[in-house]
Amino acid sequence: MMLLRSLRADFLKIRRKGIWFLVFLAPIGLVAMQGLNFGLRFDYLSKRYEDDLWGGLIYNIEQFIPMALFLGCTLISSLVANVEHQMSSWKQLLALPVSRSAVFLAKFTLCVLVLAVSCLLLPILTAGLGLLLGFEPALPVQELLSMGFIPYLAAWPLLALQLWLSLTFRNQALPVSIGVAAAILSPFTLDLSVWLPLNWATLAMMDTSPVAYLLGGVSLSLFLLMISLLHFNRKDVD
Amino acid sequence: MSELIIQTKGLTKKYRGRPAVDQLNLEISKGDIYGFLGPNGAGKTTTIRMLLGLIQPTSGSISIFGRELKRDKLNILRRIGSLVEYPSYYGHLSAIDNLEAIRRILDVPKPRIDEVLEIVSLTKEAKRPVKGYSLGMKQRLGIAASLLGNPELLILDEPTNGLDPSGIHEMRELIKSMPQQYGITVLVSSHLLGEVEQMAHKVGIIREGRMVFQDTIDNLRLQAQHDIELVVSEPDSAIWIARDLGQTGTLQGGIMTFPGMKDPQVAHLVKRLVENGHAIYRVEQKKKSLEDIFMQVIGEGSL
Repeated sequence: MMLLRSLRADFLKIRRKGIWFLVFLAPIGLVAMQGLNFGLRFDYLSKRYEDDLWGGLIYNIEQFIPMALFLGCTLISSLVANVEHQMSSWKQLLALPVSRSAVFLAKFTLCVLVLAVSCLLLPILTAGLGLLLGFEPALPVQELLSMGFIPYLAAWPLLALQLWLSLTFRNQALPVSIGVAAAILSPFTLDLSVWLPLNWATLAMMDTSPVAYLLGGVSLSLFLLMISLLHFNRKDVD
Repeated sequence: MSELIIQTKGLTKKYRGRPAVDQLNLEISKGDIYGFLGPNGAGKTTTIRMLLGLIQPTSGSISIFGRELKRDKLNILRRIGSLVEYPSYYGHLSAIDNLEAIRRILDVPKPRIDEVLEIVSLTKEAKRPVKGYSLGMKQRLGIAASLLGNPELLILDEPTNGLDPSGIHEMRELIKSMPQQYGITVLVSSHLLGEVEQMAHKVGIIREGRMVFQDTIDNLRLQAQHDIELVVSEPDSAIWIARDLGQTGTLQGGIMTFPGMKDPQVAHLVKRLVENGHAIYRVEQKKKSLEDIFMQVIGEGSL
């Protein structure tokens, strides 16, 4: 299948580009921060979350997940696109017998998979930290996995948008600025509206049921993906 | 005439209403090395990008291997290798990994990588990151990449651009060997005639988006106008005799030069000069070099 062949080529191209470094750095950073937090004021926090120590740890990490996700989507998209922009490899790549849809969808799949690695590492490292802090060994598996993947799915629209912008503009200043601005502003837009897609990652974790936000996130991202695909298929390659 | 590999009809690309390529009819036969010539900005690269499906023509049709490019793009591209302008490569990867990234998409057997590296003599350097390569090596890597899929047609856009003389020579020998050794048809573009004349059988010359000449190099030579030079005993009066006959020539250093004079006119002029008592020392045809002809074509738009 063309998509798979493209994807295998893409995995080769992102070697030594700092992408894997970022993928590991983000969850390690988030968990290390809480390691410090809990390590320094363990007595206070363990009293405060007496009833549910695991829940307390997860809650504290979750505060930072949306912003980290938005930054991740932005930087990974830009790095993935830059592999082709840097030495104008588009003309070589798109003159190969591979459909443009396959090329585009392979890049999206690549971003999704690479970010999923981060999202899987986060619960694993969190569990490790909890055990290290001496929490009870029965792991709250469902909560841990929810923390990793629910906000991630709700953040897909931004990933779709960022990838489109990054692939379209040779100069990455614009897409990266937009993405970083979205990440920095995201904590302050929560009160605006539940309809604002930027809020969905947080709301999916905090609201009683995440289903609506997940459906919204996935369908909006598919819609954005379709539009970008139409554009990518027609555009002239210079 | 053998079968046509590339045929375009009325191929046109407009940018904001201004045609970059205008009503181009390209005809390239199997086994040819076709030199695609024109000054910078004449529309060569735009044409080549259209042939590779990188940009959409505004109007006109492209048929490659007898099939419509629009309808059968992927099957056609599978049989083409290309190198467009400056080389594309992934600088952080070695030559082998660069080729592997392309091989994974083409889905050809792995040993093919060693074969193409051998063809462009990069085997020894294949494990170094490409960003440390010289331009000539990068260009050779580009050729290797274009050969990876065992193409029947090679489309090379300015493959010798920026190379030093020995690099140019190497590239030329490599291109010349393609039809002989591998049966590959080659389209090679350049803004220098001298570079193409030593390898191409047929040339297409494009100027401001329009084809102004398309035929063999030999016919290009034949069609050019040649100057006639005369050296006589009294050139000052001879030139007036010529003018009476309707031949305007120039006189410099005792040599009269008449541009584009036909044989009967030469005979007539010589006869008249002899009748008037001039001694004729020399009548010479001054052949124009191919470069002169090329400059004439791209300067005036016709022969």
